Amino acid sequence: MRHMMFVAGSVFFAIIFSTAAFALSEERLMLFAGAASKPPAEEAVKLFEKNTGVRVEVIFGGSGYVLSQMILAKKGDIYFPGSSDYMEKAKREGYVYPETERIVVYLVPAINVQKGNPKHIKNLEDLARPGIKVAIANPEGVCVGAYAVEIIEKNFTKKQKKDFKKNIVNYTESCAKTLTVVSLKLVDAVIGWSVFQHWNPETVETIPLKSNEVVRVGYIPIAVSTFTKNKVLAEQFVDFIISEEVRSIFKKHQYFSSEQEAFAWIGQKPVGGEYAVPAEWTGK
Amino acid sequence: MKFKKLCIMFAFCSFFLYAGLIVSLAYFFRGALFVETLFNERTFFSIRLSVSAATIATLISLCIAIPSAYALSRCHFPGKGIIDTMLELPMIVSPAALGAMLLIFFSNPAGSWLQQHGVQFVFAFPGIILAQFITTAGIATRLIKAAMDEIPGKYEDVASSLGASPLKSFLTVTLPLSKRGIIAGAILTWAKALGEFGATITIAGSMAMKTETIPIAIFMSLSNADIERTVILIFILIGIGIGVLYGTRLLLRKMPYDWK
Repeated sequence: MRHMMFVAGSVFFAIIFSTAAFALSEERLMLFAGAASKPPAEEAVKLFEKNTGVRVEVIFGGSGYVLSQMILAKKGDIYFPGSSDYMEKAKREGYVYPETERIVVYLVPAINVQKGNPKHIKNLEDLARPGIKVAIANPEGVCVGAYAVEIIEKNFTKKQKKDFKKNIVNYTESCAKTLTVVSLKLVDAVIGWSVFQHWNPETVETIPLKSNEVVRVGYIPIAVSTFTKNKVLAEQFVDFIISEEVRSIFKKHQYFSSEQEAFAWIGQKPVGGEYAVPAEWTGK
Repeated sequence: MKFKKLCIMFAFCSFFLYAGLIVSLAYFFRGALFVETLFNERTFFSIRLSVSAATIATLISLCIAIPSAYALSRCHFPGKGIIDTMLELPMIVSPAALGAMLLIFFSNPAGSWLQQHGVQFVFAFPGIILAQFITTAGIATRLIKAAMDEIPGKYEDVASSLGASPLKSFLTVTLPLSKRGIIAGAILTWAKALGEFGATITIAGSMAMKTETIPIAIFMSLSNADIERTVILIFILIGIGIGVLYGTRLLLRKMPYDWK
């Protein structure tokens, strides 16, 4: 019995030590990513792991939330937010190497409605119509919410804005939840990204905004974190993400893989940048 | 004696574990921002919203929990075992999953009908109360049942033999004797409701000055990569929670049944 216990104990410790040794010797990258690119990003990560043998640990979440996690953990090799706004903040505060920033894909804001468009929403003005239930992402922490506010501020009169605000049932806390509330028919429309339609084609359809209504085209950037301990490998991952192979994955998921593609859909627009959300939208 | 000292040491270890976490917040603490945030209308609104929703949810939970706990403690009926197990649902299923279940329910025809003809729960104040109620009702029932289980059934039998109706024996015997357990259950329920986040944000959204409770404000600040404000809001939540709980304990010491 003692002998058996000794053998079992030895095997147990051998497994633990070999696993730990393997984990320590294995090359790893830690990626903090916004949820706006989750489906293709997961595919790209798998492909990178297969090609290089490097293990990539991905932490998905809201772009600002994962930035906070990265700052507080003082860890991470790559920052991959859902839009440029948080990358600007990360660059300004020195959490990424600005020279390593690359654009992966482009995003265009649009109206998303329930499949079949039961409320016959045809344009932005319809979102201020009485009886229409609208949601936008929280403009304070979710980039697509800031884009929505910017569009409303630019295009609506004071009265339309008041009516639109009356129609807002609430803010959603993430990009994905903005899509979910339409999918579950809890609201009639949201201002989201054009690509939302392809995330959930059975329940959601996109109504394009007019070209003059869209202020900016968004993009999903990627950059190497200043917390990285393996800058060369992190840069290798960034190069991989902007490679044609990965672009084709994003294209498969209906993202705009170039400025030209985005402009062809909505017209020529400024790309990226930041927008300061007026205090009246955030209750500050 | 050694054993008691060891136990006291463990108690202090638990204290220092939590106290250490609170002290570590000071690293990001900014005094000027604390004053600005504390006296901000939005923060006031969030505090008022959190406290009122937690209080209402606790009262509703108790209204359901007390009779349910009595039934589970004293009566034998078919399905008792299933009901008893179901009370653990909020502990098995994460709050976010409970919130998702609520959201899915309200997107179904029955839920939609209820919303159109009754109360609007999704993205509204009643949604916060519902989320907090769902996550606390089972726990409140479990805690109160444990208190009632401690009271021998023979006291009620004596009351019945003296002519008291079941309601009267419950009101004059069981309820007063389990008062201490009910109050303890109420305090824990309130505390859990105050800090509830996952289910609340899922069903009620995160709009400032509408459904932004303090835990949601903390999450949104962190989502905005605003760590200093996050720290201040955590201090406010801790201050309210610990303050109210400690104050209640001090008040209860004057009562005949306390935690001494």
